[in-house]
Amino acid sequence: MSINRYMFGLFFTLTILIIVNQLVIESSAMFFVVVTLLLFCLGYYFLILEKSSISNSSPAKEQYIPDVDNELIHNVVFELQQFLQQEIKVIEAELNRTKLLIEEAVFGMSDSFKEMQSLTDEQQSMILQLIDNSHSFAGGEGTLEDFVKDSDKTLDDFVNVIVNTSKQSLETMNYTDEMVTQFDGIFNILSQVESLASQTNLLALNAAIEAARAGDAGRGFAVVANEVRSLSVDSTELNQEIRNEINQAKETIANLRQSVEIMASADMTSTLEAKNKMSVMMKHVDKLNQYTNSSVDKLSNLSPKLTDAVATGVRSLQFEDLTRQSLHSLELNVESILSISKVLADFENKPSSDVHQQLISLKDKCQAVYQETHLAESKRSVKQLNMDEGDIDLF
Amino acid sequence: MTVNSSLHSDSNQLIISIDERFDFSLHQQFRDCYSQVQQKGLEYILDLSKTKYMDSSALGMILLLKDHVEMYASTLTIQNPSDTVSKILEIAQFHRLMTIK
Repeated sequence: MSINRYMFGLFFTLTILIIVNQLVIESSAMFFVVVTLLLFCLGYYFLILEKSSISNSSPAKEQYIPDVDNELIHNVVFELQQFLQQEIKVIEAELNRTKLLIEEAVFGMSDSFKEMQSLTDEQQSMILQLIDNSHSFAGGEGTLEDFVKDSDKTLDDFVNVIVNTSKQSLETMNYTDEMVTQFDGIFNILSQVESLASQTNLLALNAAIEAARAGDAGRGFAVVANEVRSLSVDSTELNQEIRNEINQAKETIANLRQSVEIMASADMTSTLEAKNKMSVMMKHVDKLNQYTNSSVDKLSNLSPKLTDAVATGVRSLQFEDLTRQSLHSLELNVESILSISKVLADFENKPSSDVHQQLISLKDKCQAVYQETHLAESKRSVKQLNMDEGDIDLF
Repeated sequence: MTVNSSLHSDSNQLIISIDERFDFSLHQQFRDCYSQVQQKGLEYILDLSKTKYMDSSALGMILLLKDHVEMYASTLTIQNPSDTVSKILEIAQFHRLMTIK
């Protein structure tokens, strides 16, 4: 009561003043004033004391109906305990359900991630195989590019053969032309031989005439002249035969000329087209190779990305661990509430004992539980809270 | 005349020019253009600017001309071939054997 302290301080001061006045100043007016003040203060103090006793009387009055309040407190505590019990049941059931759900989901996700990983690997190997196949033929001998190059070389060789054949044919043609010229020379000689034969014929005729004029003496000579004449006729016939043969040879040579012409004159248009097609094909193969190479690069970049994504997914599955910890601490909290509920139940069991005492023990137990929970909570907050910090933990 | 040739003694050039078609039918004329020329160090110029068609016998004739040119230590140049003719010469890889411009 602070007012009391002030009042006693004031009384003490006033009394000291009176004593000092009596001993030192000895002024009656001062004594009178101080005593009046003291009396006035005393009166005021008693007035306040009276008032405070009146205001204290109302709670004192409530203490007169403790039985009814005790029962109410018991009822309230009982209801509270019931309520807590029910809530705890619900919370525990939900916690268990959540645990199960998370466990199932994590198992499913982990399985699907594993499958995804294996599928990705399979896809990668298939792609590599496909690339290998696209580069080489079934037997694995040479690439498409090699084939096109070989074909191009074959075509070049073919063109070479054609050109050389033409060249050789033309040379043959030149030789043939020379031969024809030589035939003409033979004809020239043949005409000379023919004129010789006709002169021989004339000579033989003259000889026969001269032999006839000589009479019997020239009879033998006439026989010789006749023989010479028939020989010249034979030689003319032979000449004609040679001429005929050579003419036939000339015809054969004309045929030869045609054959050689056909052999020498190959049309280059189709070869030109083939060559054009080949170069188009070559460009196409080049493009295809470039495209394949860039695709391979892209795919090889894609594969580690996929693996990373799967790894991130797997790492994210660690949330189960953290969630389990959270759920566990929640369970501890529920246990705390449960212990309080038990304390409340104890309260209910002893209705006859002193309510005040029970309330105090309830308060103490509550404090104890609070301390325990607080300690557990501060321990828990130290634990890992971030998933990214952990290493990859494969399930 | 489908084959024309002119010998320029002052510049040491023998110019042979061919008309539209260069095929087997010209082989005699073509050969006559150079077979009698035996001068050494001559520059043979084959003008194909008018030629539009050429078959393999033309290539053979050019090769025979090339043999003749080499025999007399001369040079051979093919002048102004059209696109088609140029392609045929390219396929036959004549650019490795002689100058084409």
